[in-house]
Amino acid sequence: MKRNVAIIGGGQTYHAARRHDVDEPEMVNEAVRAALKDARMTIDEIDLVILGNMEFFEGTHMTDCWLVHGMGAYGKQGLKITTGGTVGATAVCAAAHHVASGLFDKVLCIGFEKQEEGDTGAILSGVANPLWGRSMAGAAVGYFAMMGSSYMAAWGAKEEHSAMVAVKARQNARRNKYAHLKLDITIEDALNSRMLAWPIRMLDMCPASNGACAMILADEKTAKSRSKKPVWIRATDTAHNEQFELDWRDVKTNRLIFSRACAGRLYRKLGITDPAKYFDVFEVYEPATWAELIWYEDLGLCGPGEGFRLIEQGRTNIDGPIPVNPSGGVLSTNCIGASAMLRVWEAALQIRGDAGEHQVPKDVRRALTTGYGGTNWTVMTALSKTLDD
Amino acid sequence: MATKDKEWISIPMTVDVPYRFAAGSYMTKCLTELRDSGKIYAVECPKCKRVQLPPRVVCAECHVKNERWVELPHEGTLVGFTIMYLPLTDPTTGKPHEPPFVYGSVRLDGATSVLDHMVEVEPDMDKVWVGMRCRLVLRPKDERIGDLSDIRYFEPLPGQKKPQS
Repeated sequence: MKRNVAIIGGGQTYHAARRHDVDEPEMVNEAVRAALKDARMTIDEIDLVILGNMEFFEGTHMTDCWLVHGMGAYGKQGLKITTGGTVGATAVCAAAHHVASGLFDKVLCIGFEKQEEGDTGAILSGVANPLWGRSMAGAAVGYFAMMGSSYMAAWGAKEEHSAMVAVKARQNARRNKYAHLKLDITIEDALNSRMLAWPIRMLDMCPASNGACAMILADEKTAKSRSKKPVWIRATDTAHNEQFELDWRDVKTNRLIFSRACAGRLYRKLGITDPAKYFDVFEVYEPATWAELIWYEDLGLCGPGEGFRLIEQGRTNIDGPIPVNPSGGVLSTNCIGASAMLRVWEAALQIRGDAGEHQVPKDVRRALTTGYGGTNWTVMTALSKTLDD
Repeated sequence: MATKDKEWISIPMTVDVPYRFAAGSYMTKCLTELRDSGKIYAVECPKCKRVQLPPRVVCAECHVKNERWVELPHEGTLVGFTIMYLPLTDPTTGKPHEPPFVYGSVRLDGATSVLDHMVEVEPDMDKVWVGMRCRLVLRPKDERIGDLSDIRYFEPLPGQKKPQS
């Protein structure tokens, strides 16, 4: 990066299925105030405000205008980003670019979604191409179901492996005071939950949450003078998949699909050969259980077809050697526009040692996060505790 | 946390928005051939030779113009599927597809791409599997409108049994 960039503060709302007590700007304002308080800053110090959400979900277009007071963006420079499920991470990525470029020193980025205000299933079907498959669209659950059936057929994984991911997420969420689904469930509970689209059951999918996350990014000089625990953004990378090609769920494909292209490029930037050893914690975007297993493989935490062995051996547990989603992940909280930013913020909390009850019980110096959304693209962010890490 | 002892107002609203999308030259050829002759047309990239369906003007990987049209057979292999238990709304009509139904991804022989559609088979795990051979069933010619729904569904080729694993 041209200039070093640090996360110097952040905050989130509590996440829930119902937030009738707040409108959109009020909800966003909760996260913005929490982030400013965490950074010990006032809104007057912010140079630029970046907002991200998936505006189809609420049906409120131009959210950057309607939420301007809640964001604290009145009269300031700002921009709005809409990149589907990745948008929270894209907002962080854009904020990092703006600081790294030298044009801005203190950037506030915000991600939010109020899913209760619209019809998520219908809107996600509308993400399909209007002329090719929209009338047949299986929504997100159908896509992940085919990913799961393809994964099981290719590698011999069982529905129990998916259930193990479901249990890990909700048990981790029980330690996270902000999480939406804090469920004390067992593998049997997951396997007995209602079938939505074989092999996806109710507990294999993320919830529809309301919530917001905000983060403040700053240049090195500001970070070192203002923050006791800056978390450094060491690299970001993004990649799109080819549209209409459903190779991302063909788990045996040899193509350099979006996730592998992005991870490969990010690892080259940092000289990483063994990501499972290099990073101390991962926060990945897993709207469904099977997606987490495929992330293990696409990120190179194991070989192809070995993802389900990692969960089986407990290696990605909060106290395992490769902790993945100690926060409970998207499976426990999915306020879409905030979800990908929550991955970055939760990873930053782990590096600061401020994750509370879901703090990983080891020295956390480096973390990797992924976003996932649109019709398959990703944003990855690598964080570190010091500039020497 | 929100307190429940207070009244919170929320206002329901339904927004009905009509759209009209231009199919463009490549998709127009594909959809008119489907409608008029019942043929499935893809394009082959001159460089990587991937046979792409639906056809599109540029190969995303090679950045070259796709110019060779390839007629695909109606038979292929199921590469992924789900048994859907949710009444999913068809956003083009607002009507639900009645569950349970099988929805699958089929690679027509010779194609690089796969095609997602309904599979006309009992929603029973013993009757559907990855690797199952399928064929396209089209609507009768006078019912076809130049849309992917001109394909009614995939059906299994007769005489197959799920392999024992």
